[in-house]
Amino acid sequence: MAALVAGVETPTRSRLPRRHLVGGRLLNHCLLGLVGLVTLVAVLAPLLAPHDAVGTSGQLYAGIGSPGHPLGTDGIGRDLLSRTLLGLRTSWLMALAVVALGLLVGGIVGLLAGAFGGWLDAVLMRVTDLFLALPGTLVAVAVAAALGSGLGNTFLAISVVWWPYYARIVRGEVRALAVRPHVEAARMAGVSTPRIILRHLLPGVVPSAVVTASLDVGSVVLVLASLSFLGLGQSAPAPELGADTSRALPELLTHWWIPVIPGVTVMLLSLVANLGGDAVRDLIARRGR
Amino acid sequence: MTFRFFGTRLASLVALLLVLSVVLFVLQEISATDAAAATLGPTASPEAIAAERARLGLDGPPVGRYLDYLGGLFTGDLGTSFRTKRPVTEDIGSYLPATLELVLFAFLLALLLALLFALSSTLRWRGAGALRGLLFVSSTAPTFLLGIFFLIVFYQQLDWLPANGRASGGAATDGPTGLLVVDGLLAGDPAASVDALRHLLLPALALAVGPALAIGRVFRSSLRTTLDAEYVRTARAKGLGERAIVVRHVARNSVNAALSMTGLQIGFMFAGVLVVESVFSWPGLGSYLGASIPVSDFPAVAGVTFVLGAVYIVANTAADVLQGVADPRVAV
Repeated sequence: MAALVAGVETPTRSRLPRRHLVGGRLLNHCLLGLVGLVTLVAVLAPLLAPHDAVGTSGQLYAGIGSPGHPLGTDGIGRDLLSRTLLGLRTSWLMALAVVALGLLVGGIVGLLAGAFGGWLDAVLMRVTDLFLALPGTLVAVAVAAALGSGLGNTFLAISVVWWPYYARIVRGEVRALAVRPHVEAARMAGVSTPRIILRHLLPGVVPSAVVTASLDVGSVVLVLASLSFLGLGQSAPAPELGADTSRALPELLTHWWIPVIPGVTVMLLSLVANLGGDAVRDLIARRGR
Repeated sequence: MTFRFFGTRLASLVALLLVLSVVLFVLQEISATDAAAATLGPTASPEAIAAERARLGLDGPPVGRYLDYLGGLFTGDLGTSFRTKRPVTEDIGSYLPATLELVLFAFLLALLLALLFALSSTLRWRGAGALRGLLFVSSTAPTFLLGIFFLIVFYQQLDWLPANGRASGGAATDGPTGLLVVDGLLAGDPAASVDALRHLLLPALALAVGPALAIGRVFRSSLRTTLDAEYVRTARAKGLGERAIVVRHVARNSVNAALSMTGLQIGFMFAGVLVVESVFSWPGLGSYLGASIPVSDFPAVAGVTFVLGAVYIVANTAADVLQGVADPRVAV
């Protein structure tokens, strides 16, 4: 949904000086490298974490930089670095999964609607519009509350509201592609419909779908953190960035780092995702010229 | 501005509210808690639960139960909260004014910031770059982190603004509008209004930053596109000042995309307000929801979702209609 902002802004991007820098391409690759690094950290988090994320040590309220606990410990002596790493793992991998699933479902819906047109198009797009017109995050809150706590349920709750925008984008692109000469030529030559969809329509849709999706990861990270903050994630001892902030709020004025560290981690994840999304857009735009 | 334009908007408004009610009803059905058991508590006997089920009409066919639910919505009945044992409508009625006051104020703040953001980059004011950078970085922060940051800086370090609640001491919350700032003015007590405003400022700012950036970006990019239009060149050629051109010719033609973004952002604000309220102990729907979620009080959650969702849908329809007013080509 945040991609709507980005989509509208695309034309003005070319005026930014970054594109004219000699190192622009290098910068973009560095940003993508950063995304890869975060993904690697997320995957390897259980190995990287120095302590058990739910187990307690004797040291309560250790400050940042304490020996053995670089980010300190919380009120019952759990190591904050380990909790943050595992929370990051959940947030990041789930955000990627939500966007991937949204892209898959929205992509299929949009592809079918755009390629076949007619009543199928009308029905699929009306359903999509309905989903787009409902307040997504609120519906996700209700879905997560109805299903109860748990990782899978949160994932489902966000995925349910996250595909319609992709369906719109893909459908629009497919409609535009379907009237292009190469598709018409293929049709005249007697190529079967599935083959036209897979070989002639799908490849043309991929760039804009990928750009939209990559710009969305940051928003998903934020929505996930909000749901978790409201208590709609995994239940208590599991390390989760939003919930860890929310549970430590009463300690904000006395031990600020306990709620702030997971919150800042969410912010960094979303920042990396946004920069990575920008880089993907820039690289794809360059290749297109 | 045709009758047809308004007719379609009104019809889709009604259809969306119906869909929202269906969604919530289905969720209620699949939610794990049994309403009868939850109402009576853990000590109830199976017979009592069965009797309660019959009384609540839970044994009927789904379509009939949905129609009951829908009829309830029409008469303002959102069910009974498992937790407070009071009608959800009553609960929401007592928490809603606080949330509305916060959202309204944050909304105005967001529009103001968005306008500043968009115009500053078009008119090249001093400090524009700094404002934009600040907004960009803060837009990647989750709402709760912004709230925490404001608390640490403006409450703990500078001690300029209060951290908790809507008013200092025992301010009356039973004024005619329920909005403390307005009630203070109506009661001829400006000090109360100022106090309420001071309490509003931090949570509203935390809530406004994200939407402000989203709206501002859209508005800025359409401003830039419009600035390249030929009638703008003509206006320049006839010697109009840059400010007059932007305000009179460009802004009006660019406001369309920004309006639909504004409609969308209202939805995000309703979700954000739930989070912000728990950071600032704001006694609104977010706090109500926060207390309802851990005990699986689904009627309360569904009630809050329906009320906020309905406001969102109405606001979006309003944004749509406004688009038609700003640009008559839309309303054909």
